[in-house]
This record gives sequence, structure tokens and C-alpha cells, in this order.
Amino acid sequence: MSDTPWRDLIAVDELETDWVTRVEVGRRTIAVYDTPTGIYASLALCTHGGADLCDGYFDDHVIECPLHQGAFDVRNGKPIAAPATRAMKVLEVRVRDGKVQVRI
Amino acid sequence: MTQGIVTPLSQALAEGKLTRDELKSLMQRSDRPALRHLALWLLVLTGTTMLVTLAWNSWLIWPAMFLHGIVLVHHFSLQHECVHYTVFRTRKLNNILGQICGLIIVLPHRFFRDEHCDHHTYTQLPGEDPERIPLPQTYGQYLLYLSAIPYWKAKFTEIARHAMGQFSDVEERFIPKEEQASVCRDARIMLAIYALIFVGMAVTGWWGLIWYWVIPLFLGEPVMRFIRMTEHVGRPTVAQMSDNTRTNLVSAPWRFLCWNMNYHAEHHYVPLTPFHALPRLHEKLKDDIHVEPRGYLGAHIDILSQIHGARS
Repeated sequence: MSDTPWRDLIAVDELETDWVTRVEVGRRTIAVYDTPTGIYASLALCTHGGADLCDGYFDDHVIECPLHQGAFDVRNGKPIAAPATRAMKVLEVRVRDGKVQVRI
Repeated sequence: MTQGIVTPLSQALAEGKLTRDELKSLMQRSDRPALRHLALWLLVLTGTTMLVTLAWNSWLIWPAMFLHGIVLVHHFSLQHECVHYTVFRTRKLNNILGQICGLIIVLPHRFFRDEHCDHHTYTQLPGEDPERIPLPQTYGQYLLYLSAIPYWKAKFTEIARHAMGQFSDVEERFIPKEEQASVCRDARIMLAIYALIFVGMAVTGWWGLIWYWVIPLFLGEPVMRFIRMTEHVGRPTVAQMSDNTRTNLVSAPWRFLCWNMNYHAEHHYVPLTPFHALPRLHEKLKDDIHVEPRGYLGAHIDILSQIHGARS
């Protein structure tokens, strides 16, 4: 269990339904995913070319990079389609009092 | 790093050419438009195949094979769409159909995908864009390119190299290390399938595929070269997407055959846009991109005038 404190990210109501929502936290950009099995979050930059995944295509549990269509499973960050070969950094997520919280 | 790299898409969003809601709507995928398009595609393919059959014992088989070849080489457009996963919503179907198209036009799907990624990153930049077609310096070079002889030479050499596990320095850059063995295997499988087909024809004595596939493919490829030239050749060799790419306004049959890829600048702005949404994206971006209203012919008039200008 991480000691990193939970941090409010965004109200659940403000998330784009069945899509990816961009949230700025300090200097970081976080991609928050509304999926059929719950909410997930990751750092927003593609591990292949550095494009912003928040501008990509999201379907079910897969986020696709807007530049090269490298794809990741948002549940565990694993790359599922080339040219993405390195996992993306996923964040621990929970919902409290209608807010999405992450450890970051 | 906290900010993503600047892509044509992020630029379009930042400049207000597109809103996020519009983008989301444009990117939506569905299997249905592709299935409709494919059904008509198979009808057209059946029609041109029948034309070859009907013209079998006359000189008319040559124009029939040419027509059939034009349809065959347009499997490139379909494969290109599959590379972007924008034909079907179901990802696997894009891969399966892409492999089939690749087999028809001798273009291994995985390799094309890797190469095409770099084309989108370095569009039209000399020495960087692996798909770049340089502006011919002479009319002779122009005609040689259109003959498709250099294209086939490069393709066959490429597949042979990959089957032997050899990659050029440029290919080493754009094919992820983890994928190189698969690219090699794909090339071997493709060559094995072709060998099997030819052995099959020799054993059965039925050489029909030469007339229904091989000759039409070679007859049709110059048309694909003619079309591919219109996308970037003669446009400035700069990173700016509004300048380096040409959208060609063409008639409905050509749009059908090329899966709307004539909207090429729009495609480069938002590669995630499925073929059926490109006309809508065109309406959003048409004032910010280079549009050739005279279509493919207009693009070639432009290219030829640049060759003429450079010579005089």
C-alpha cells in the first residue's frame, strides 16, 4: 500500500461519459477514463511518441494514441498495439464523495 | 515532460479549428458503414472479374484487366484505412482485413503499419519521411515513377530483405525492436503463400490467377502511383500540415475506390477519423488546408508545371 496521499482530481459528474477526460494537476496532465467497469486514470502522454492520449480514441478499456494509433489497456497500462511497446503509467484511483481521487 | 508533443490535431484544437466535442463525434467508429462499403466493393470486384471472363478470347481482355487492376490496386486504400484501425470498430477485423489486402497487393500489413507511423510523424520531410515521393526533376523521372517499375523493384527487394531478417537503418528506426521478428515472419509467410499459389497453379494447370490477379495488378499499379503522387508531391517539404499535403476533390466513384482518402490533408490532421467521417471533417478544415478543386488531374498539372518551371 502506498503512503502517497489521495488527491482530488475531478468530480465524477464532470467526466465525459464512456470517454477520456483531461485533467491538469500542477504540471502534470492526467487522462481519466470512464469505462464499463469503472474509472481508471493514467499519465496522459503516450510512451511511444509523447502525444497527448486525451486527444485519442477511447473505446471500452482501450485508449488509442491520436498520432500513431498505438493502444493501451487503461486497466493496467499494458500496450496492446504497436508502435506502443512500453506500458503507460496507470494511477491508483478511487471515488470519494463524488470526486475521483488518485495517488500521485 | 508534462505537455504532449504538438501534433496537427493538438494544433487544430488549440487554434479552435475543431472543438473536443466535434473531434469526439468525428472519431466515432462503427462496423456498419464499412460493411455497406465492403458489400458494394465486392460487387464492383465481381463485376470487373466478370468483365475479364467475358473478354477472355479477345483483345478486350487487356482493357478489362486494366479496369479490374484499378480496383485491385485500390485495396491499398482499404489496407491503409485498416492500418489506422478506422474501417471497423472491432480492432481485430481491421487487422484481418488489412492482412488480406496486403496479400492481394504484395504489401505486408505489419510492416506497412510501422512505416506509415513514421510517414505521419515526418510527413514530407526529406530524409525523414519513409514514404516520401520526391518531386521528379525531369519528365523522364516522372514517367518512370508512374510506370511503377521503381515501386515494384523496391517492394520485392524489401520483402526479400525482410524474409532474410535484414532491415535498413531507416527501417531499424521505425520498426520497434519487439516487432522485427514478426515483420520477418510476415514476409516469409507472404512469400510462402505466393509460392504455394504458383505451385498450385502449376500442379492443376489452371493459370487463371495470372489473368485475374497478377497481370491486372501490374497493369493497375501505375494508376495507384498516379494517385499516390497527388497526396504530397509538389507540396512544400515542411512540417506544416496545412501546406505539405494536398486534398483532391474527386468524383464519387474515385472517392468510393479510395475510401475517401482523397481528403488527405484532413486525414493527416486527424488520422483517427474513419473514412466515412472525412467529408464532415473536410467541411470543418477546408479553409485551413490546401485543396485541389480539379482533383487528381489538377494535382498532376501542378506537378508537371513545377517540373517544367524547374527545367526552364
